[in-house]
Amino acid sequence: MTQSISIDKTASASAKVGKPATARLIGSPWGRACIQAAGVVAFFAIWELASRLGLVSAFLVGSPAKIFQVLMQSLTSGQLLVDTGYTLFEAILGFVFGTVVGSACGLALWYSPLIARLIEPFVVAINSVPKIAFAPIVILWFGTGLISKVALAVSLTAIVALIAAYEAAKEADPDLQALLLTLGADKHEVFYKVVVPFTLPYVISTFRINVGFGLVGAVVGEFISSEKGLGHMIFTASSLYDLNSVWVGLFVLMLIGFVLYFAIDMLERRLLPWRQATSASTLRV
Amino acid sequence: MTLNAQLSLKNIKKSFPSKNGSVEVLGGLTFDIHERDFVSIIGPSGCGKTTVFNVIAGLLDPDGGEIVYRGNPVSGLRGKVGYMMQKDLLLPWRTVLQNVLLGPELKRMPVAEARDMAMEYLNTYGLAGFENAYPRTLSGGMRQRVALIRTLINDPDIILLDEPFSALDYQTRLYLEGVLMEAVETFHKTVVLVTHDIDEAVALSKRVVVLGGRPSTVKKVYDVDIGARTPIEARSDPKFSGYFHALCAELDIQTQTRAAA
Repeated sequence: MTQSISIDKTASASAKVGKPATARLIGSPWGRACIQAAGVVAFFAIWELASRLGLVSAFLVGSPAKIFQVLMQSLTSGQLLVDTGYTLFEAILGFVFGTVVGSACGLALWYSPLIARLIEPFVVAINSVPKIAFAPIVILWFGTGLISKVALAVSLTAIVALIAAYEAAKEADPDLQALLLTLGADKHEVFYKVVVPFTLPYVISTFRINVGFGLVGAVVGEFISSEKGLGHMIFTASSLYDLNSVWVGLFVLMLIGFVLYFAIDMLERRLLPWRQATSASTLRV
Repeated sequence: MTLNAQLSLKNIKKSFPSKNGSVEVLGGLTFDIHERDFVSIIGPSGCGKTTVFNVIAGLLDPDGGEIVYRGNPVSGLRGKVGYMMQKDLLLPWRTVLQNVLLGPELKRMPVAEARDMAMEYLNTYGLAGFENAYPRTLSGGMRQRVALIRTLINDPDIILLDEPFSALDYQTRLYLEGVLMEAVETFHKTVVLVTHDIDEAVALSKRVVVLGGRPSTVKKVYDVDIGARTPIEARSDPKFSGYFHALCAELDIQTQTRAAA
């Protein structure tokens, strides 16, 4: 009896309180989008105003109106699309290659804990070097073209994927592995039916980081030596003090990163349907 | 007795390495499991129940002793046993049907045939309509039922159970105990149940093996002479409380001697 009374009380109390108007606005997707768009507009308006009034130096920070002008020019000339396409291609190639090679190596280490323990300190050592420091050597080895940028992106992404895959494979539930063994599975079957699917979410969670690293590799490679690409464009423009062009490059990079992030998100949903399944015990905290 | 033994453990020994040398967990364990037997193994916690379980399953190699299966010495029973634990051990990335099909898949059974069989089992155990659901969307009782089907569909000679129902609420547990007993009767299975639950051991088993001591050995084997067909009937049998108290006393004495030593 007392229990049912207390339940009634809380129910009526929460009904009375309801949600305040601001919470409802932020809660709905459209409300959120409006607030976010307003924020962006306000940011650019303040920037433009400040540079027109001379509060900040238009020479050093650029101005949104000029940036837009440059954007339109480079779009119509087609140069921006070429640069963007080139950088995007390098980044994606580096990301795919690095992730595939890295995850495969990380998973392969599951087969031999002995070898894994042997090479672990070397992996850690390589990982602790800022990989960007390899850039000059990579350019020397692979030239100033596409391959050096891809190689740089691979060196950044592969090690992340390797460590994630190896760590996850080590954690693969031993009881599930035992179950498969009692069902008569051999080591390869345990690998393909338990270890690989178990590791997949962890590998996919590195996609988000690695897609960014792919871009870093491509752009830094272009900074050092290149004829095309957004990194090349930004570097050249900044050495000519053409800040507006630099901003165009940066905003396009931001857009690429944004689009890739959502593409990865969609890929994840596609690859891991079982993670999307709603559980009876999922709580909203 | 030894003539109709399906599985005999003879003087099984097992130690595990620890900080100060090695700890002997099983100090020469000997007992038989008959054809179509239902044997519970009970004992105080830390007595190596799960170690026995893993030795029979072929997941651990004993340091000494012999395992004899239907007259032949074997190293373990991999591929011949079904295995259920407190965790349902369903693969979360597989649907209910795919989980059930795990065993047939490993035995390379034709897909269509295995699928039909799986659907039949799912229908029998009230899981029709859930074949494409992922385990995380199911309740604990349903998941354990899927685990039971996955075990039965392989037609194992011996079903090994390691406290399979201890994480479930009491009603679900009684229900699943009933399902298990019925399935064991229908399919003529031999069952080895490892449990700390004396009540469950008496209600389900034909025989109870009590482990004790450090390292542990078989302290006593009880024949449970209760003719009931269901776990609920068994619990209301007049002989039930006698066995229950005898086994309780068996475990209590052990804890006292250990405290004294």
